[in-house]
Amino acid sequence: MPVPEAAPSVRPAPTGRAGGTPPRSVPPAPTVSRRGRGGRRAERLAPFVLLAPALLILALLRFWPLLLGVNFSFTGDGDRDGLMVGLDNYRELLGDPLFRDALGNVGLLVLLLPVAVAIPGLLATLIYLRVPGHRLYRSVYFFPAVLSPVIVGAIFNLLLAFDGPLNALLGGVGIGPVDWLGDPDVAMFVVVGVHVWATFGMALVVFLAGFATLDASLLDAARVDGASLPQTVRHVIVPSLARTIQFVFVTTMIGMLTSMFGLLYVMTSGGPEGSTYLPEYYIWIQQGQMNRPALASAASTVLFLIMLVVGLLQISLLRRAVREA
Amino acid sequence: MKHRAVWSAVLVAALALAGCGSAGGTRSPSGGADGKLVVWDWKSGEASARAYLEKAKADFARKHPDVTVEFVAQPFEQYYTLLGTAIQAGKGPDVMLFNGGGQIRDRADALLPLDEYLTDDRQRLAGWDAFTKDGKTYAAPVTLQGHPIYYNRALYDKAGLDPASPATTWSKFLADCATITRRTGAKCLALGNKEGYGIQFFLSAFGSGVFSTQEYDDWIAGKRDWTSPHVKRIFALWKEAQDAKLNSDGANSTAMFNDSFAIFQSAKAAHVIGLMSDVGHWKDFSEFLTAEKLGVMRAPVVVPGATPSLPYDGGIGYGVARWTRDPRVAADLVRSLTSTDALKSFYADAGAIAADTTIDVSQGGPAVATIVADLKAGKPALHVALSSKTLELMGRLSQQLLSGSISVDEAVKQLAASDQAG
Repeated sequence: MPVPEAAPSVRPAPTGRAGGTPPRSVPPAPTVSRRGRGGRRAERLAPFVLLAPALLILALLRFWPLLLGVNFSFTGDGDRDGLMVGLDNYRELLGDPLFRDALGNVGLLVLLLPVAVAIPGLLATLIYLRVPGHRLYRSVYFFPAVLSPVIVGAIFNLLLAFDGPLNALLGGVGIGPVDWLGDPDVAMFVVVGVHVWATFGMALVVFLAGFATLDASLLDAARVDGASLPQTVRHVIVPSLARTIQFVFVTTMIGMLTSMFGLLYVMTSGGPEGSTYLPEYYIWIQQGQMNRPALASAASTVLFLIMLVVGLLQISLLRRAVREA
Repeated sequence: MKHRAVWSAVLVAALALAGCGSAGGTRSPSGGADGKLVVWDWKSGEASARAYLEKAKADFARKHPDVTVEFVAQPFEQYYTLLGTAIQAGKGPDVMLFNGGGQIRDRADALLPLDEYLTDDRQRLAGWDAFTKDGKTYAAPVTLQGHPIYYNRALYDKAGLDPASPATTWSKFLADCATITRRTGAKCLALGNKEGYGIQFFLSAFGSGVFSTQEYDDWIAGKRDWTSPHVKRIFALWKEAQDAKLNSDGANSTAMFNDSFAIFQSAKAAHVIGLMSDVGHWKDFSEFLTAEKLGVMRAPVVVPGATPSLPYDGGIGYGVARWTRDPRVAADLVRSLTSTDALKSFYADAGAIAADTTIDVSQGGPAVATIVADLKAGKPALHVALSSKTLELMGRLSQQLLSGSISVDEAVKQLAASDQAG
């Protein structure tokens, strides 16, 4: 509510000018009130003018497309193009086993989140505790984070091919070949694994930054008290890094939900049997391949709502973390 | 309170305005300022298409010296996404390249019917059906696309089989495959079904050995009887080929383009269902296996009484956008792009089977000669008649059939439901 607050702050100026100091010459009353009103209006409008560029950019590039997208999701495709169809698209989405699978996979990602956070956390701990070669590991772990998902996907496509090196290695020790990307029970885990491999470097850096703020005297005290490594991690490191861990949780979650497309596209094309579909990929298929832009809009709206929930969760988590600090 | 009311009013107004739009977009005239035609394709960037385009451009320049033509090459993976967006924005090109079948039919409402402009080309070119919807033609065919069964004659020789007489029945085919695998170690069929394309090729390549002529024609005409035992037979055949270990390993994680073709080219499999144009075709294979060692066979007869034929359709063709300024000029460009001279270059350089059946291919080796000879008796491919939605479902179901997680009956039931839904 900026307007009522702004009004009192500009009001004193004219009264001051009119009654505070004795006027040298008395200007005609109408002029004063006109100039005063003009100045008042300019001052009142100033914040809006200053805010306008940012607001316009937000409105034009964010809210307007969002509204259009939501609106499109209530229209039809093909013959019914442009006609309002109510909730038909959403009904179709709910009835489409492929979309339900895609949502199920989102749930799977949430379940796998602790693993994706634990891996960089554990490795950062080891680096912080200066295991031999920790300098080398620090740079090596970060290396995959600079590769694009397409390149990572192509590399792992070669490694994980049915007649590829990994299966050859397994065959060498007498384990039958696994169709890593062709078995619907395995493929999603493989893709998530590759995603974690490709992105944990970033989380590792965040963890290391968190460790930099860790009070070394606490660790020394634990050591003096004879705490073992697991005890040190459990009782000293984890509580001290609570905020960092929360932050990594949220960013990893968002990374998993929004940037798996490249890997999926290159590694599995959503297959086998539709087992690696995510909402993003579904939207792309419906819009680009099936020529169903309205249905894709509906799916986008659902994905937006999911991300909204995750985002709000993120804000409340971070806010709580700050309050605790 | 007052502000809330104002904001609500703004929101309602915005939604009301938005309500005029649609996800398909408004189709206002746009592209093609006077004297200029914009063409979208995914071919013009390729070296093998250069001579073809130069000849087409020269032909068009003779007819319309005052019109400039701009070719915009788009990446194929993104092509229909970009095109769909451009169409929705009403900023699409004047002339655009399409794959035949679902891709063009789904977008026919953005295209101009070309029948009145192309009457003179009707006889010379083949493959019109793939660009036709509800009796109207929306593009002129440039190449023919089909799914011949290629085989490696050298592997036949090595296995002690006669490469000049490949199997004509399914049982003989199974026997030959067993012999080849036993004597050479090569698999029978190179299969890539990661994207779900494998089943599409299989359906079309082997379908004519299962269906009766009547059933085949009905299928193409849209009268598909999914309860017919022959439909079920094709999908059972797909599963049978897997169970009999005919397919190369890991089919569900092997990309058809180009990993499965690579398996065939490196003689790790004796047969592959390939293409006639673009990639994975006779010219690609000939470069690895040499033209003499590459054979093309007709589908083996599975159900007695079936007459195997070469499945093919119009492959790619140029269509004209509804919003182009002067349809006649744009249609003339399409005619230049399908002129005999230009297509001859496309055949020679890119190895495409051109839509112009008057082109002489006798220098290309036995495989291409067989293909062209079979064109006359050939029929539209079975999978091209299906909607992209059904094809996508078929891809997933085919993967389930290979892994054994669904029965043939259930798969056919789901396909029937999808096909009949539209």
